[in-house]
Amino acid sequence: MTILIVQIVVLVVLVVGILLLVRHFPYPSPLVRHWLPPHKRWPERQIRDWLKSGRYHRGFLAYFYRDPERVPPPGVDLLAPADGPITSADVRDGIRYVVIALSFWDMHVQRSPLAGRVVSVTAHGEDFMDGEGREFAFLREKPCPVQKRIVLATQLGEVAVRLITSAAARRIETWVAVGDSVERGQRIGRILLGSTVVLELPADVALRVKVGERVRAGETVVADAGYTP
Amino acid sequence: MSGFFWTSSHLGWGIFALLVFTALWWLLTDLVWRLTNVRIQRLIAMMAGGWIVGVGLVVAGFRVFGG
Repeated sequence: MTILIVQIVVLVVLVVGILLLVRHFPYPSPLVRHWLPPHKRWPERQIRDWLKSGRYHRGFLAYFYRDPERVPPPGVDLLAPADGPITSADVRDGIRYVVIALSFWDMHVQRSPLAGRVVSVTAHGEDFMDGEGREFAFLREKPCPVQKRIVLATQLGEVAVRLITSAAARRIETWVAVGDSVERGQRIGRILLGSTVVLELPADVALRVKVGERVRAGETVVADAGYTP
Repeated sequence: MSGFFWTSSHLGWGIFALLVFTALWWLLTDLVWRLTNVRIQRLIAMMAGGWIVGVGLVVAGFRVFGG
């Protein structure tokens, strides 16, 4: 009789595993989620469904809101303000715009590229950007993606970081105010469930990264400071 | 095959092994599908082939050791 009970328990456990798989299909069941890399653990389609319903998986939110410590490399060179691949680094009207496109699985806390003082924190835009407009959509007057622009006075001159939302995001937190001094690599804000960060630099700054390269906020050197402290 | 399905008041080890193997194989197939970029037709063919081999081994094992 004991053997029969053990057999039934084993079979019930397996049936529950299969029912979980069927119930969550095509998304991963909780049984296998743990073994998958983040972009497969929470597929994009599933995240977009959550955005519509406003109900998120708790594990995904915990992952999304992560805020790991970052150790800036020694020196004074400019650091990436966000995690993600660089999608463009073109010059327009004397300003180099380094565009970093964040995915749902990237860490979303932004960091200061240089030490300096906050000159302004301004909000722009009334529209939401949906991925495709990443190139220079943020510069349009109207309609323009919702964004916050943090301008820093640095040894290099004025450097700005734009935090831009997507259709999915709709919220930006800035953690610095006008007059604040910021350290190189210090946390300056976060985009909730979005989207794009643009670093504005003087056009003559020598870039150390290429388009397509992935950078890490507060750790990857993106450009030479052009001076020694 | 008398003891395959039922034996001395519990499930036969043959059918038990077959059910456990099938369930685990199904779960494994899902995991492999998610972890690799293999085409679905190829995955089904591969896993179906593996399942047939597994079932063959279970039945053969039962005949050798359990029957």
